Amino acid sequence: MTCLIETLLRLAAWLVVAPLLPGIINKVKAWVAGRKGPPVLQLYYDLARLWRKGVVQSTLASPGFIAGPVVGWIALLAAALLLPLGRHAVAPSFQGDVILLVYLLAVARFATAWAALETGSAFEGMGAAREVSFAVLAEAAVITAVLALAVQSDSLSLPAMLAPAGGTGALLLAAGLFIVLLAENCRVPFDDPNTHLELTMIHEVMVLDHSGPPLALILHGAAIKLLLFSVLLVEAVLPVGDLPALAGTGALVAGVLVVMVGVGLTESLLARAAFRQVPLMLTTAFLLCLFALLVAWRGAASPLPERPPPTVRLPGETTS
Amino acid sequence: MNPAPFLLIAVVALLLAFALGGQSARGWLAGLLTGGGGLATAALGVLLDGSPWDWHARFALGGETVHLRLDAVSAMFLLLIAVIGAAGGVYSLTYWGNDEHPRSAGTGRRWWSALVLCMALVVNCTNGLHFLIAWELFALAAYPLVTLDRKNREARAAGWLYLAASHAGTLVLFVFFGALAAKTGSWELGDLRSRPEVAPLFWLAMFGFGVKAGLFPLYIWLPSAHANAPSHVSAIMSGVAIKMGIYGIVRFGGWLPVNTTQALSLIGLATLGTVLGIAFAHAQNDLKRLLAYCSVENVGIILIGVGAALLGQANGHPDWGRLALAGALLHVWNHGLFKSLLFLGSGSVLHATGTREMTQLGGLWRKMPWTASLFAFGSAAISALPPLNGFVSEWLIYQGLFRLGLSHAAGTWAALVAGIGLAVAGALALACFVKLCGVVFLGAPRTPVAAHAHECGTGMRRPMLVLAGVCLAVGLLPVLVRTPLEHAVAAWCLAGDATAFALPLAPLARAHLALGAALVVGAILLFRRIRGGVVRRLTWDCGYAAPAARMQYTSGALAGWTISWFRWALWPVKKWHRLDTTLPRDAAWEERTPETVLERIVQPVARALCWLGVQTRRTQHGRLQLYILYLVLGLLALTFMALGGGMK
Repeated sequence: MTCLIETLLRLAAWLVVAPLLPGIINKVKAWVAGRKGPPVLQLYYDLARLWRKGVVQSTLASPGFIAGPVVGWIALLAAALLLPLGRHAVAPSFQGDVILLVYLLAVARFATAWAALETGSAFEGMGAAREVSFAVLAEAAVITAVLALAVQSDSLSLPAMLAPAGGTGALLLAAGLFIVLLAENCRVPFDDPNTHLELTMIHEVMVLDHSGPPLALILHGAAIKLLLFSVLLVEAVLPVGDLPALAGTGALVAGVLVVMVGVGLTESLLARAAFRQVPLMLTTAFLLCLFALLVAWRGAASPLPERPPPTVRLPGETTS
Repeated sequence: MNPAPFLLIAVVALLLAFALGGQSARGWLAGLLTGGGGLATAALGVLLDGSPWDWHARFALGGETVHLRLDAVSAMFLLLIAVIGAAGGVYSLTYWGNDEHPRSAGTGRRWWSALVLCMALVVNCTNGLHFLIAWELFALAAYPLVTLDRKNREARAAGWLYLAASHAGTLVLFVFFGALAAKTGSWELGDLRSRPEVAPLFWLAMFGFGVKAGLFPLYIWLPSAHANAPSHVSAIMSGVAIKMGIYGIVRFGGWLPVNTTQALSLIGLATLGTVLGIAFAHAQNDLKRLLAYCSVENVGIILIGVGAALLGQANGHPDWGRLALAGALLHVWNHGLFKSLLFLGSGSVLHATGTREMTQLGGLWRKMPWTASLFAFGSAAISALPPLNGFVSEWLIYQGLFRLGLSHAAGTWAALVAGIGLAVAGALALACFVKLCGVVFLGAPRTPVAAHAHECGTGMRRPMLVLAGVCLAVGLLPVLVRTPLEHAVAAWCLAGDATAFALPLAPLARAHLALGAALVVGAILLFRRIRGGVVRRLTWDCGYAAPAARMQYTSGALAGWTISWFRWALWPVKKWHRLDTTLPRDAAWEERTPETVLERIVQPVARALCWLGVQTRRTQHGRLQLYILYLVLGLLALTFMALGGGMK
């Protein structure tokens, strides 16, 4: 029973908190540019308005055009539910749930790209081609990061993998995952969330023909995905699960805020990269994760006595 | 339960079907379904019970006593043969019926039942000599099926290539079984793990069975044979026949003392095949060729799992690789199911439009809603999307690989590399099937044939529905396959190692059921929310007023990025007729990806050999004087050799 209540609470947290993130990024960008910017809650207003609207749909589209967004949204939500939030939220975890998480993201990709191809538009075909192609490199980076975490913690279930601190390769892992976060969530320098009619778009161009409630689901799903990647990044580095409950939650929230500010600053200070550099940047992310994996592998491969014993330093004690 | 009576019924029924196939389609169907039912019952009995069935005949064949044995490993393959054999047989009655193909329909039915029977024999034979006989019969029985469409030149060429490649493999298997019999002193097959001197023979098994299985780079026959055969034949070839090669590798991997180098080579080739197979698939514009290359990928996935199990065993810890082996065996079933479903679906498309060329199709969902939905379902399953069956087996393989990697034993780093390769291939497979579904079934029809397609009949739809239903059942309730898989893994490992092995499928089953329920409820809620409020308009297309079908992204465009990344392996051929003069007449652009291993490696080598042969023939010219010169030169050489030897 407590398990069910806990899962429902976590579900509510993901649903309610996620749309806040794009608002924070926009505030950071406005602050850097010296503007006032849209309200932090802007996405909530947009979602509420879209949910009340009707649907305009292409004459070519099959029912899959409507099913795509809802399948993608549910897959992203399910993936988010697998992630632990701090110390106590570990309800449906099992050995191998991390692989389920990676493949749930693939379900969302399949559904979005499918819906994009429904319209028979060249724009949306272009977006779909880019999305599924770049995901190949992003997925290699993600699975390598997962492997690094698995080698570090000697486990394949998310709560155990994400609980301890990131270890020696944490910085590499954080950098790799941050690049993947930018690519998978269509932020600068991979994509520009502000444009609608640029030839260099990836994600936005796939949802050009959506409207009304399905579009609301797509926008909300994108927000969940952003939160999911930032939580993953923060928990991979900080020992959120090992801290006491309140401190853990505080660290998680602070970490996510830092990541959002980082995304906002990247977006304000960098221009979108030329399109042919996208695979190069993603390969860099993959290599960073690969080095993190090698560091973790070396650390774990050395026989146990060589590892330094965990030292507890008392206050007042001096290092010799 | 004793499977012997069911096997006997099946053999008799399939022989009757072979005899009746030419004349009576109904009689043949009855024989085939009875045979399939018998095989399936026997296999299920062994799988659920776990104890093998062993039978020594009182008579000999070719000087050797007939020895049949059905354990859980062979029963897994037998069940697949039965299910796909029956489903494809039902499909073929409508797809390749007497009305449309009066001359070849009977031949097709006959050899279909022969193929099912021979494959069932292969997985039962436990004597090297009889295994070879069954193997050869099976290879031959598939040939008339591949070349069923005899008027088609490409089909004949594909059949010839199949026969040649298959026999190259069989030749190596002759050496393998002969050497095995010479070393052990008996044709009887069985556990030889205590005899390290037979270890090198696994290389021969890997080659011989690898040709049939489509192990990279030995798969050269596979794309053209699968693409040009009638679709129900492609289904059984891709779903079942190549699995016989897998069966050989699994079988002899379990029986021979495999060392780390061999296990690592298998994992390496399988990983390479997984990634390059799907890259080749993505670059294809031919619907069935794409599916054929995708089989190379899936064979790679299966062999990664098998290789992981062998690596664990070579390290002395067979328990490390059990999860991977269970995943590999389940993927044998899963790939058999969804690949057959996809090939049958492509058969419906071919039947309705007459073309396999994806650039000619598009927007078929409106005319063929059943085929489109079933094809989409199969595509999601083969892309390993949860909550369908493809994910269950890949999940097990991933876990096996990661467990192996975490053990830090010799060579286990390869498991991590294979894990990354599997992830890359998974993402590429998704891209590939999004493209396939999008170009063939979605958007606007690109040509009149696509616009005037028609839905397939119930005779073709029902087998596809059955296959899709089994895929869904395995996906949502993976606990259903737990007992058979545990028994098969136990039968593969030595009986002593298999203590207390339980597949951790229950939590995944719960997650899949919850996800499936959420998807259904969510879709219902959204469709209810928007009901009545949908306005249909032209595709917006950024405000362009007259979008046309030719403006859609094509198959080549969707795969452009991948082709450019894998150019070093794919060697795409581009023909560009530029507009260069002031008053240009026409422009053309053609890009295709050839069968690189065949056209760039095998064919040049074969051509060089032919050239050498022709050069050698010049010495045979019929001039007596020169022949006498050869004799004199030969004698002189011999004399010098004798003198040189004598002086020592």
